[in-house]
Amino acid sequence: MRFIRGFSTTRSTCKSACSLVKPVHHLVKIDKSKLSPRFEELKYPKNDIRSPGFRPVATHQDRVSDHYHNTLQSDLLLINYSHKARIERGAKKREWDNSSPYHLNRQLRKPKGSAAQLPDIHPIKWHNIPSLESVVINCYAKESKENQLLPITAALQLQQITGCKPQPVYARTDVPTWKVRRGTHMGAKIELKGRPMSQFLSTLTEIVLPRIREYKGISNRSGNRFGGLSFGLTSEDVRFFPEIESNQDLWPKTFGLHVNINTTAQNDVQARTLVSGFAFPFHGPERTK
Amino acid sequence: MTFQQVAFRGMATASKPRAIKAGLLLSRIPIVTQEKTPLEKQYYDYQSELERRLMWTFPQYFYFRKGTLSEKRFLAAQRGPVSRQPGVWFPKGVPDVKHNRERRTKQEITLPKSSESESLGGANNADDISRPVVPNSRTTDADRENDTTSLERQLSSTLYLVVKDAAGKWAFPSFDVPLDSEAKKPLHITAETGLRELGGPNINTWTVSNTPAGVLADAQAAEFMIKSHIVSGRFVLQPQKQYDAFAWLTKSEIQQRVEEAYFEELSCILADN
Repeated sequence: MRFIRGFSTTRSTCKSACSLVKPVHHLVKIDKSKLSPRFEELKYPKNDIRSPGFRPVATHQDRVSDHYHNTLQSDLLLINYSHKARIERGAKKREWDNSSPYHLNRQLRKPKGSAAQLPDIHPIKWHNIPSLESVVINCYAKESKENQLLPITAALQLQQITGCKPQPVYARTDVPTWKVRRGTHMGAKIELKGRPMSQFLSTLTEIVLPRIREYKGISNRSGNRFGGLSFGLTSEDVRFFPEIESNQDLWPKTFGLHVNINTTAQNDVQARTLVSGFAFPFHGPERTK
Repeated sequence: MTFQQVAFRGMATASKPRAIKAGLLLSRIPIVTQEKTPLEKQYYDYQSELERRLMWTFPQYFYFRKGTLSEKRFLAAQRGPVSRQPGVWFPKGVPDVKHNRERRTKQEITLPKSSESESLGGANNADDISRPVVPNSRTTDADRENDTTSLERQLSSTLYLVVKDAAGKWAFPSFDVPLDSEAKKPLHITAETGLRELGGPNINTWTVSNTPAGVLADAQAAEFMIKSHIVSGRFVLQPQKQYDAFAWLTKSEIQQRVEEAYFEELSCILADN
């Protein structure tokens, strides 16, 4: 007679023996270089002074962050105050009404009027006053597909402007109309935080932007709805950075940049209020929904 | 009976409407950075020296092309590192030189003087790129003369406008809000127009919000404090007004001049620095 396994039993009952090794449901990656006793100092985190990659961070007073804490923070609290403010619920996924038996175990319905769920907007209190998080600068050199030396120049330009180490940017997909192939080295980007960010922002607002001809400001329509603002600098504007301007003969070609300012603001209006406090001008009509 | 009901009843049985005033917290925000404490100064000095010591060697090949005259001039201006000799005592420690760089200390770069500045014969040439950076003084003439009416005093702290009334009491300027319906104006507009009447038209201010930052309430009047920053111009006290003196003071100086109860009510909305 054939033995038929019931759905309620497992296969192991048929076996004569079973493994005593506990099941591993995920892959545990082991960095074997950490197990070796050869390079002890490489095991320290980068902010440990014993690590060879250590770099001091708090090397000077942060003028921009001082301004934020002394003046801007209390002003933003007052500006964003609204009487009897309540939590505004963002669009969330909806339940099915179970009018059909197929609704059982189906994924939740998409939110009303939006493809994705939106975060709740909390009233601004002392603990969630908008602040600057990071500045991401990316420099995508279109001509790099013909000349692979150009992205290196773009990275050097970013390094000269910010004093930090840029990361390379590669084309993600094939775009036949632009003759871009996947994996081509196309430019560079940097994420700035802390003091380098303050330094970059003050250079921008005090030296570069005032010297741009007929500069109007950041567009009021800029923003990603969740507290991030973006604007661009052309290759001519980049020449006003003092590091590039002081030796122009080294820079026969400069590249335009995109600057993204990430804040902890919950929407664009709050983000604009915050960024204008760092002396960035804004222009144009605001987006109304 | 809930707390809300009690509160509403209390308001309803109040005998007559109190006078409303618009107070003005006009501030001048700091112009220079904070004064560092000795500990902070030592910490920053140490960290920046450490950063300079850990920095990459200056890439002179990038700025001065090899074999050019400018490279020669640059190299001539450098004081190269002291090389290590066997059997020699080095008073400043044994040199540790790699690629023409002393690794124990920061790398000192001296820019060559341009030929024009040499011919003019002075380091005070304004166009010379290697001229020393001399910061302006953090203390101004107003600080030395203790001129409290000047906006150019105490550059590293927030200054507030305070005025002295006929009774000799110092306080923030406050303006009556008319209660009859024709002349009624919002608080922030009352404060702005009142400031222009009090301090002359040559003053540029920015009102932070039309929401008051605080309130001083007593039996007779409620004074709502409107926050504002002075952007440019000067406050010149106009004659024949209810106030006869004014001063730009920091928080600690305000504490010495105003009444203790008044200061305690408002100290939480003043900037500490």
